[in-house]
Amino acid sequence: MIEVTGLTMRYGDALAVDDLTFAVRPGLVTGFLGPNGAGKSTTMRVILGLETPGTGTALVGGRPYGSLKEPMREVGALLDAGAVHGGRSAAAHLWCLARSNGIGRGRVGEVLEQVGLAEVADRRIAGFSLGMRQRLGIAAALLGDPDVLMFDEPVNGLDPEGIRWIRELMRLLAGEGRTVLVSSHLMGEMALTADHVVVIGRGRLIADTTMPELVERFQRGVLVRAADQRTLADVLRAGGASVGEEDGGLSVSGLDAARIGELALSRGIALRELTPRSASLEEAFMELTGESVEFGAGRAA
Amino acid sequence: MIDAIVSEWLKLRSLRSNLYLLAFSVLSVLLCAGLAFMVSRGIDNQTGDDRLRFDSIGSGLGAGLPVAYFVMGALGALSITSEHATGLIRTSLVAVPRRQLFLFAKIPPLVAVTLVAGQVLVFGMHFAAQAVLGDRAGQVLLDGRTLGASLTDPGVAAGLLVAGAAMPLVAMVGLGLGAVIRSTAGSMVTLIMILFVLPVVAQTLPGPWRARIGSFMMESLPDQIVAGEGAGILSPLAASAVLIAYPVVALTAGAVAIAVRGRGIRPLAVGGLVAALLAAVTVIPSSAAASALPWKPCGGDLECASVQVPVDWSKPSGRKVSIQIARLPAAGTHRRIGTVFSIPGGPGGSGIEDLKKKGGSFAELRRRFDVVSLAPRNTTDLGVIPFDCLRAGPWITVPADRAEYDSLAARNRASAEQCRKVDPEYFDHLDSGSVARDIEAIRVALEEERLSFVATSYGGVVATTYARLFPGGVRAMYIDGGVDHLADHATDLRLKSEMIEGQFTRFATWCASTATCALQGRDAGAVWRGLTAAADRSPVPVQGERVAYSGFDFKVAAAPDLISPGPAPDFANWQRFARAVDKAVQGDASGFADYVEQATESMKVPSFRGMNVTHCTDGLGFDGYQEFQRMKALGERLSPNFAGDELWHPLGCVGWPAPVTNPAAPMPADRLPPFLGAGTWTDHDITADIVMRVPGSSTVRYNGPGHGLYLSGNRCAIAHANRYLTSLRLPPRGTTCEPPAAG
Repeated sequence: MIEVTGLTMRYGDALAVDDLTFAVRPGLVTGFLGPNGAGKSTTMRVILGLETPGTGTALVGGRPYGSLKEPMREVGALLDAGAVHGGRSAAAHLWCLARSNGIGRGRVGEVLEQVGLAEVADRRIAGFSLGMRQRLGIAAALLGDPDVLMFDEPVNGLDPEGIRWIRELMRLLAGEGRTVLVSSHLMGEMALTADHVVVIGRGRLIADTTMPELVERFQRGVLVRAADQRTLADVLRAGGASVGEEDGGLSVSGLDAARIGELALSRGIALRELTPRSASLEEAFMELTGESVEFGAGRAA
Repeated sequence: MIDAIVSEWLKLRSLRSNLYLLAFSVLSVLLCAGLAFMVSRGIDNQTGDDRLRFDSIGSGLGAGLPVAYFVMGALGALSITSEHATGLIRTSLVAVPRRQLFLFAKIPPLVAVTLVAGQVLVFGMHFAAQAVLGDRAGQVLLDGRTLGASLTDPGVAAGLLVAGAAMPLVAMVGLGLGAVIRSTAGSMVTLIMILFVLPVVAQTLPGPWRARIGSFMMESLPDQIVAGEGAGILSPLAASAVLIAYPVVALTAGAVAIAVRGRGIRPLAVGGLVAALLAAVTVIPSSAAASALPWKPCGGDLECASVQVPVDWSKPSGRKVSIQIARLPAAGTHRRIGTVFSIPGGPGGSGIEDLKKKGGSFAELRRRFDVVSLAPRNTTDLGVIPFDCLRAGPWITVPADRAEYDSLAARNRASAEQCRKVDPEYFDHLDSGSVARDIEAIRVALEEERLSFVATSYGGVVATTYARLFPGGVRAMYIDGGVDHLADHATDLRLKSEMIEGQFTRFATWCASTATCALQGRDAGAVWRGLTAAADRSPVPVQGERVAYSGFDFKVAAAPDLISPGPAPDFANWQRFARAVDKAVQGDASGFADYVEQATESMKVPSFRGMNVTHCTDGLGFDGYQEFQRMKALGERLSPNFAGDELWHPLGCVGWPAPVTNPAAPMPADRLPPFLGAGTWTDHDITADIVMRVPGSSTVRYNGPGHGLYLSGNRCAIAHANRYLTSLRLPPRGTTCEPPAAG
């Protein structure tokens, strides 16, 4: 459980986080969405005690992060895969971290195995690819077997296989009842992973909802093509829908595809196409955060 | 806490770059060996006294220590700046969110590594330098130090241990700097500034600031902590405080810098308080406060003042007299040890004149001491008793019987009364005991707990009297060509006879082999004995004067030239002596009378009242006719060439009107530190008889002529004396100094 309440964070005159409140619940993968510069990383840094907020609180399991005695046993975090010393081996890096939280050496081998770095455990990190570093960062987050996990843009630099691995790992972790917060600026990625989303833009909360709800909100009606489109339009209007013409077909809203199919069948009208449409998640995301994008393409003109 | 510390230990250990850095520190050992090699080459290219001018390299750390410190500082700085540079700091702070704990957890592993590495390095540096120096290490230099220093020398092992123990402190300075500056390059530059640039800049500062600022540089602190021999004005306590203040200040700054906003106040308060307390320690004066005496400049470096003392120390509230004192102040480059008090000879000489004319001899000693002397109450030209009265006196004859002894007494008494009548109370209190008590009054006025003495010639009598009366006031006692007040008269006579006979033998040997000797080709000894024996029967006239020289007169006139032949290789005084003998053998004593008259305005050497005022009250005279007879007989047995000469001084005291107030008495040897004596061909053995009365004492023998080695600038003697006066370390018995090779 992560609880962020009334969080405000300022860098000089710039307001990075503006009165942000949300909660991340256990057992779910929660996506933390927003364009670059929205304040996602700052919020996560506040949760981890790396920054002190101007006002508001960020609690993990009901306590500020800084008061945790062995924080890695309660919270695992991947903030920046580059935040390592290239001169150490993967195993040494993890062992240093583990020891600082009283975690046994055995865990180092286990997490390296878990993230698929067991074979390169004794190689210096300097020679690692970005993807390997992401895996190493995730291994570090898993060291303390924590109930709360936070990942900032974990799929950056990963190949498709790696991306799928991360998705499955998060689902697995959530499935074990853990609290999982994953930030991303890519909506599509979240659609495949997250159960719940928190969307922010310019530091403000834009949406805090389940994934299905978010999809629902951006329903765009059903595209219908039929042999007798005029009759069908009348029937559907009578059925309570609003109907418009579009691209040689009908754009129907107010009825779902199943009901449209039933009404057409009842009148013996052959359907050539019946396509429920939603805005792509990318579009929805742009729509939600459009106002808040700091350096939007429109304004750049 | 423990977990965080162990984690930092793992971090330190798991970076190969740290190992390379430590390996780099071996450079410091090579530097020390290199410097020792250069010094060895330099000293091998010099001869004799020029070698004494070299600067000591001490335990040998000089060149390498800053390098070793830099490596340790860099290790400390890198332990945090590398985390900033790579971003690891964010990962680390997520693992250990309490930031000051995170920072301080780095200290124990750093301390462990740098302490071990540091000790290995300093001993490595020391042994490398000593190995290169080899035997040269023991060379005693002009400033009283040896060229090198062996581990068994006092303070050396402690100094090395402290220098090694300072390494962790430097590492903590690096850690603190790294936490503040965050950039590796910036931290390295700052460390280089602190460890290399500032000390060099300090050396370019003028006057006292060079020493004041230089003493606070990290590399000069360990030596000051063990009160070592190097430069620096801080007391051991103050130096320790400064050394600890460095990491305290750096770590305080680091803890404030690393704290999350608003959480830096506590470390700032604690660190600031500790630093302030440590700074306060350095303000505590390092040695006795400057005395309240109103010193006034009186020419050159010299400062003058005066101290009131009673004329008669048995009546402390009686009549007072003012004793003039002068000092050459300490240069202020090293921690001041105290005051060296120079006791002049004579009796009747002025120590202030010595400081004016021969103050250069004290140049090296003034790094650590004020040098103070006095114009003692018996100085002949003070004016209380007219100088013209004191510088003259009657001619002495050797009494042939009791009646002549009594008539000598009457003559002496009448002569003494001429001076005494001017101020009888003052005249009667010109003994060395009164002078010693005056010195004690000066010690009190100087606010010195103890004094370190350089006593020359008759100053030796004052010195031993002071040591007898005030043993607790003696820190060190160097007696140079001392007059022996403590030996019984028979022993003193034997020593003097051996001395002058030995010197006569040297003269005769020289004369036999030197064309410029007027007696060459003749047996100088036989000629001299013939002359003096004949003259005792029938005195030799001085041509054109109504004066004739007895054998006794010849001996008294000849002794100073014989003892002081003049500079080699000419030995002008020996030449003059030989010419005068040659002339006297032909029936004319004017060869002697001429130069005696030049020096004394008298055709024969007068028995100076100005010396007798002190000699006689110090008990140098005979206790009666019986003793005179015994001594005369003894002299004739011991001294074939100069028998009778040794009677001259005591005979001056026959009939003296003032009582013996400072008779010889033993010193409380068990309450005195070991003494050092130094002397030449003619005064070493007598000096040795004085100083060896205190157990553990030692002497330096100069194998050449002269009297008063220190004041006359003999570098070898000065080097040994300075070593003794500075660090109370004596040369082994039998140590000799050689005159510069002729050429």
